[in-house]
Amino acid sequence: MNFWQRASSIDRRIIFILLFIAVVIPLIFNFKLPNRVTKEVQAVYDYIESLPPGSVILMSFDHDTATLPEMTPMARALLRHIFTKGEKVIGTAFLAEGAAIGNKAFKFVSDEFGLKEGEDYVFLGYRPEISSAILGMGENIARVYPKDYRGVPLADIPLMQQVKNYRDIGLIISVSDNDSPNAWINLANARYHKPVAPAVTAVMATTYYPFLQEKQIIGMVPGLKAAAEYEQLINKPGTATVGMAAQSIAHLLIVLLVIVGNIGYFMLKRRNA
Amino acid sequence: MDVGTWIAALLTLAIYSFLYKDNPFYKFAEHLLVGVSVGFLIVIAYMDTVVPKIIDPLFVRHDWLIIIPIVLGFLMFFRFSSKFSWVSRPALALLIGFGAGVAIPSIMQSYILSQMRATISPFTNINSLGTTINAVLIFVGLICTLMYFYFSKKHEGTVGVAAKIGIYFLMIYFGATFGFTVMARISLLIGRVGFLLSDWLGLLKIS
Repeated sequence: MNFWQRASSIDRRIIFILLFIAVVIPLIFNFKLPNRVTKEVQAVYDYIESLPPGSVILMSFDHDTATLPEMTPMARALLRHIFTKGEKVIGTAFLAEGAAIGNKAFKFVSDEFGLKEGEDYVFLGYRPEISSAILGMGENIARVYPKDYRGVPLADIPLMQQVKNYRDIGLIISVSDNDSPNAWINLANARYHKPVAPAVTAVMATTYYPFLQEKQIIGMVPGLKAAAEYEQLINKPGTATVGMAAQSIAHLLIVLLVIVGNIGYFMLKRRNA
Repeated sequence: MDVGTWIAALLTLAIYSFLYKDNPFYKFAEHLLVGVSVGFLIVIAYMDTVVPKIIDPLFVRHDWLIIIPIVLGFLMFFRFSSKFSWVSRPALALLIGFGAGVAIPSIMQSYILSQMRATISPFTNINSLGTTINAVLIFVGLICTLMYFYFSKKHEGTVGVAAKIGIYFLMIYFGATFGFTVMARISLLIGRVGFLLSDWLGLLKIS
């Protein structure tokens, strides 16, 4: 059996081990590789920078636990930036698991800044049927969410006394691993002209690039790479930055395997012909 | 280190053990995940939907109008009966009517009108060779890809060439999507390996 035959029939478990090594070594030895900030991530950062302190940003946690490694770094980086600027956040969730995830993200970051729930941020929790909830919030948030995640009536929450609907909100960020940003774009942006910024998994990225062209979204934060870019912009390296070297080396390995596999395929095809 | 970290680490290893071959540890972790997810979903659906949308309005605020949507919602359960499934039709009709009413204008605006504008608008901002190439690429890409999906004329001659070019644009899109998918999957692996190395084994410090 020659090299190309071996390369074509390599056991998939060897590929898994190689991939595991490619991820573990950069993490343990803390390799650093340069990471260029892309235009779409810079646009989200610049937009949040441009909002006056005290502005209210709506952040929707529309993802489940399966994509936490990708979504948590970007949610934390965005919240850190928003809180550093002295802006306020209203959190929502349109996936059941997003309720616990969003609440945890707020607790984690607000503890770093010593913020107070109800004054600096409020987490409203989960609601089903995203389209009607988004439309309802355009009229009156309290009608969709009479109480927050803790069960406190919205009328008793200081932050919610200055926010009635989208008119009082500066930006909508959809932290999502599914097509929920579409609903924000179709309803909150198209109907209420609210700026929307999707923070999505890399898988979803190609879906949202066409919306950038016509400025239906002000920018976007797609995947772990974009989360690392955001951490770089706010000068607070975190999980995403640590993972970028591992990501790049794993990609190089996959590219190498694709090239070897394809050359092997064509070599064997030519020999058999 | 707390018990939760140990449980999470062992379950992560149990799930990854599937990469070697199917085994009882993997099956246990998989079933546990499904059970916990469904249990969590039921609790959240009850606490965040049934309580604020049915119990509170009905028994706390005595908002009797809420009975109408409750009855309509209840009719949906007749879908489970082949004999009485027709009872659910009014509720279903309302749902479809609302869905179509909300979706059609907004999708027309976001997906068709805005995207049509986005195809032409780059021609109004041409100021360099790069922007010219971009504008032409977007326009040619759209027309050729649409030609590929035009089935009322045989794909030969000019239409065939355009459809062929459309296939290349589609291939580039699939390639980009595959690249992003690989990136996403590797990110998930990095996340779990990072968790095992930092939270469980304490070999890394990540915040």
